[in-house]
Amino acid sequence: MTVRDLVEMAMKRADGAQATMNRVESANVSFENDRLKTIKSAQSSSISLRVVVDGKLGSSLTTDLEDRQGVVDRALEAAEFGSPVHFRFPGPREVPAVKVFDEAVTSVTREEMVRLGEEMISMVKEYNPDILLGAGVSRSVSRHELANSAGTVLSEEATAFSLGVHGQLVRGTDILWAGHGFGWKKREIDEKDVAARAIDLFRKAERTADVRSVDMPVIFTPEGVSVLLLALRLGFNGKNVVLGASPLGGREGEQIANESFSLTDDPLLDYGGGSAAYDGEGVPHRVTPLVEKGKVKNFLYDLDAAGRAGRESTGNGIGCGSTNLVVAEGDVPFEQMVRETKEGLLVHNVIGLGQGNPLSGEFSVNVNLGYKIENGEVVGRVKNTMLAGNTYEALNNIAAIGDKAEWAGGRLLTPPVKIAKLSVISR
Amino acid sequence: MRDLIAEALDKARADYAEVRLEKVDASGVSYRGEKLDDIGSSRTVGGIARAVVNGGWGTATFNDLDSIGRRVAEACESARLAGKEKTCLAAVDPVVDESPAVMEKDFRAVPLSEKKALVEEYNDIVRGCHEKIETTNVAYNDRFRSVWFGNTEGTFLHDERPDVGVSLSATARDGDNVQRGFESQAGVSGFQVVEGLQEKARAAARRAVDLLSAPPVTGGRYTVIINPRLAGVFAHEAFGHLSESDFVYENERMKELMVMGKRLGPEILNIIDDGTVPGQRGTRPYDDEGVRTRKTHLIRKGVLSGRLHSRETAAKMGEEPTGNARAIGHQFQPVVRMTNTCIEAGDSSFEEMLSDVKLGLYALDMVGGQTTMEMFTFSAAYGYMIRDGKVAEMVRDVVLTGNVFETLEHIEMVGSDLAWSTGGGGCGKGGQSPLPVGLGGPHVRIRDVVVGGRQG
Repeated sequence: MTVRDLVEMAMKRADGAQATMNRVESANVSFENDRLKTIKSAQSSSISLRVVVDGKLGSSLTTDLEDRQGVVDRALEAAEFGSPVHFRFPGPREVPAVKVFDEAVTSVTREEMVRLGEEMISMVKEYNPDILLGAGVSRSVSRHELANSAGTVLSEEATAFSLGVHGQLVRGTDILWAGHGFGWKKREIDEKDVAARAIDLFRKAERTADVRSVDMPVIFTPEGVSVLLLALRLGFNGKNVVLGASPLGGREGEQIANESFSLTDDPLLDYGGGSAAYDGEGVPHRVTPLVEKGKVKNFLYDLDAAGRAGRESTGNGIGCGSTNLVVAEGDVPFEQMVRETKEGLLVHNVIGLGQGNPLSGEFSVNVNLGYKIENGEVVGRVKNTMLAGNTYEALNNIAAIGDKAEWAGGRLLTPPVKIAKLSVISR
Repeated sequence: MRDLIAEALDKARADYAEVRLEKVDASGVSYRGEKLDDIGSSRTVGGIARAVVNGGWGTATFNDLDSIGRRVAEACESARLAGKEKTCLAAVDPVVDESPAVMEKDFRAVPLSEKKALVEEYNDIVRGCHEKIETTNVAYNDRFRSVWFGNTEGTFLHDERPDVGVSLSATARDGDNVQRGFESQAGVSGFQVVEGLQEKARAAARRAVDLLSAPPVTGGRYTVIINPRLAGVFAHEAFGHLSESDFVYENERMKELMVMGKRLGPEILNIIDDGTVPGQRGTRPYDDEGVRTRKTHLIRKGVLSGRLHSRETAAKMGEEPTGNARAIGHQFQPVVRMTNTCIEAGDSSFEEMLSDVKLGLYALDMVGGQTTMEMFTFSAAYGYMIRDGKVAEMVRDVVLTGNVFETLEHIEMVGSDLAWSTGGGGCGKGGQSPLPVGLGGPHVRIRDVVVGGRQG
């Protein structure tokens, strides 16, 4: 069955339709408590359908590929009570070139995945045998197909590969968790580099350090930058803008951050975790500048939000979410940032992010893995430390941006960022 | 289904193998602001085959039920590649049983139009409550999960797990100040659970508006009284996860830290996990390994007295299986999870708790919680300062954090007003979220709690 057949079936009773099919085959090897624990394989397939009847939208989803009539009937039923649409399904357009398939991923055997996991674990063990370790290695191959009633027919095959190692070190009632992982659409990930980064996090935590409850400079590692970006992810979401929930709505051209700060949504980075040639509505992907030299440039729209805002879809459907976020590089080497900090924090990850009122930019989080900086040196791990502030204030108070961007996870490419002053509470 | 599973398992070459097949019918309606945001339904079918050979596990998940035989073989092969030790599973008597859903008003028989009308009504109430309400997010979701489970020991179970809920969120704005109010209601007994929530809709809207004029709490250490809903979150997040044996069973240091009989809190503290509480969202007759659920005392009179197990963790620790191996869907293997967790009632009244607090905080409900075993953090939905023994002004951005062990020791008073939460939401672990769980507790007073926020 093809997605085109489904669109045809739906069009007997609908004014517009879009069908997508997604098939994924994946394998995963996981280590727990220093040993190989589970080997998984997964096959999944799903089809989803959106129909427009009398200007109203309905959708349905199924994983039962035989249930064609069912998925059509349920989408049509939903459309009867559906929300008014503010768009038309787009006709055929050329999609950009972006690499999302790596042949090398498809030939990785389960034995090879086991070996990669064992290697990462033994490297960290060599550094400290007391760390109890887990590791994971995954690969997947997927095929996405899309067709709509305006004649668009698209398909894309993609691969994904990821490696990670994490561990737990218990000393008395002190439990330290740390680890590193990375995933993207390419096989090329150096297991030694992943393990070395995990070791570095443990090494910096060998000692603990006391922190005073005062305002102080905070350096966010590339992973830590997520703390600052949550409010922006939500604020640049076109749906939040249309609904008036985003504090950035209507502020295009306004300065919201220091001039050193630029942020882009880029789905066209080869092999990026969020990369693809087109979005979930068949709109070709494009690069969208969000913040340029501190000024609001664009928001992210899908077809419906764009229709409601009187704009054009930026290819962020369905849902107006970001693809890969890219923070522009600055000019200060990370080492210099640390060296120039008399008393401050280096924050790698936190818990409790997004629990308060993330749209407003306010955050109040517990530092899960963070380090004290004294007189230009990282002196130890901090414990029982809360960090509070507001993203929008922090972005106007940037002390430095690193000169080298790194992937943090698979969908964020950013250098470290130093904020001149944030509130720190400790006991 | 039973024949399909039995036939596939017949060919399994493993120390133990099981198959779980699921069919899930779900529907949802949501409004954001004045607009219907989403309406639709889904049907998913799929299964998981799981096998263990020499202590190594292999799993294979699939949508294509015709491939079940091949998937069982694949799981066995994977297990053989992973296995290098000895298989340890606690003995469980094989059981054959059916547990059909019991619903007062079956939500599957309610037309989508009626579900839409209900959400629209609640949404209109939230929107119309106050001019400062800027937007809303009101959602209805139901899910009917049918599960067939069989294993190579002769157990065969078929059960049905309905779950229905409504969440009501209001966003109020005053200039740059944006605040949210949140209420929810969820349950297993049918559509009537989510009817008649007009007052909750108004409460969500009023709270968002009230929070606009509430100052952020000043960070620092306070004596904190948490309300029953937050006490349930505390029992679950701050302590419950430490009781999950998969964090302990192969970890010598954690075993020392969590040794039975260790004093963790005052005499007045009792925490339980109970998969048999009637009507709660975490209640099941059997877990996803076919083990009967039960009530487990995690802390009795302040002393560590039990923990939660899968068949493997129980065998490895030489303890009884507790029926806590749970999976959220066919794509996942069961892992050790809580069911319904609560702090049991004590004998203090709310007034007694307040009476001698000069400066403290009354924290209510929650909008999120997270733990890294030792450290926990959770965000109360709202709070009030306590001044000279009285509940005083409302405050916002109340985030409580701390070391679990220190905080348990700091519990001073446990209320007599135990209540199970009727709200929605669920627990996340190992990529499996949300799992329906029950949360309960009375009012609890804790001294020296770190409250996040800016300096005064």
